[in-house]
Amino acid sequence: MSEMTKKMQEIAREILEKGEAQVVIGWEKGTFWYLSPPAFIDKPEDVQRLVWDDFCHNNLSKYLVDLKNHEGKTAVFVKGCDSRAFNRLLQDKQIDREKVILIGIPCPGLLDQDKAKELGKNSELPKAQKCLECQYPNPLVYDYYLGDKEALNEVAATKEAADYSDVAAIEAMSPDERYDFWTRQYDRCIRCYACRNVCPACSCRECVFDQTRVGWIGKANNSSENQFFALTRAMHVAGRCIECGECERACPMDIPIMLLNKKLVKDINELFGEYDAGVDIEGKLPLGHFDKNDPEEFM
Amino acid sequence: MSITEMPQNWEPKILVFACNWCTYAGADLAGLSRLQYPPNIRILRVPCSGRVNPQFVIRAFQRGIDGVLVAGCHPGDCHYVSGNYFTRRRYLLMQRLLQYVGIDPERFQARWISGSEGPKFQQVVTQITEEIRAMGPNRKLRDAQ
Repeated sequence: MSEMTKKMQEIAREILEKGEAQVVIGWEKGTFWYLSPPAFIDKPEDVQRLVWDDFCHNNLSKYLVDLKNHEGKTAVFVKGCDSRAFNRLLQDKQIDREKVILIGIPCPGLLDQDKAKELGKNSELPKAQKCLECQYPNPLVYDYYLGDKEALNEVAATKEAADYSDVAAIEAMSPDERYDFWTRQYDRCIRCYACRNVCPACSCRECVFDQTRVGWIGKANNSSENQFFALTRAMHVAGRCIECGECERACPMDIPIMLLNKKLVKDINELFGEYDAGVDIEGKLPLGHFDKNDPEEFM
Repeated sequence: MSITEMPQNWEPKILVFACNWCTYAGADLAGLSRLQYPPNIRILRVPCSGRVNPQFVIRAFQRGIDGVLVAGCHPGDCHYVSGNYFTRRRYLLMQRLLQYVGIDPERFQARWISGSEGPKFQQVVTQITEEIRAMGPNRKLRDAQ
């Protein structure tokens, strides 16, 4: 058992025994060695289920939306991306800060699950793409912190510049090539909505894609409807995407969803000034306000 | 008939989202002034350019529109004070996103046309119609394959 797992179990037990929170959300070992799905612990004797390893990908802040009407407090473990998701939801007034206890975990970067499945247990596994590009590996907000604070500052200092070379590669194509590329990707989509369900920016009480009577989107699974879905979702999370990469990981058809999201992040940075969602809860959302001096192209 | 082959006597279909307070009045002025503009446009009056949901645009392409124009009041002139500033942010992004997924930039445009700019309305829709005519029918995002 790793040091961090031990610390997690200790603090979860303490919180549950003292009655500080009714539920602790963490990760446990799943069906396979490369899966660590979320765990909801409400009894002190269950804390040994909690685990911290290289596959704790799930963004746990998302589950706070489901638990927002629960009585009492919820404790949740947060990595860097989970804490940004938490800030984001807080900014949207989706959750009550008073009802949540955050336990921060410094994240060294997690391993690629697909590669793990492919290569097997005893091989050298690469880091997940989202973790290679991560700019905030440390929790930005927490009540308790597991791990040492000096390491925290060290990692914070090495914040790397965002890499948009994959977006630029697509931008360099001709319009027809781009269309063919995206049609190929989204023809695979089975519209399971796993990307939406796992996304911490998708917190609408009722999603447009579920409002079948309104008729925004047809039930037919074809190229056109799938792209309607993709573009609509990209626009809906524009300015709110924290780039946790969960959509892409959850996608059973391996659609590069983050390529769309990153394009929007890149454009927002270029057009309206640098903005990292979920970092500063006081700031306004890029599409939620305007500036009279915004670029003018519509004259 | 497949949409990939060029039908005979094909005419571009262009959807214009016109804000009630400026562009619709501008279009009206173009008509009152007897300014000729192509009959290929369909005007859809909206209370404000800010009312135009990005999904409206994608839906138009799905259902066979060849080009979309979103038009509203000049910045600073919005009847609702700030609607068009939000439109500007939204469609600066949307335009780039559509281009990113392979839609030609000519097919989706946005313009500011005020109530007194009848000639500008005529000139903008003529120009867009000619651009789209030269490009041919839109096959991208279409739901009838």
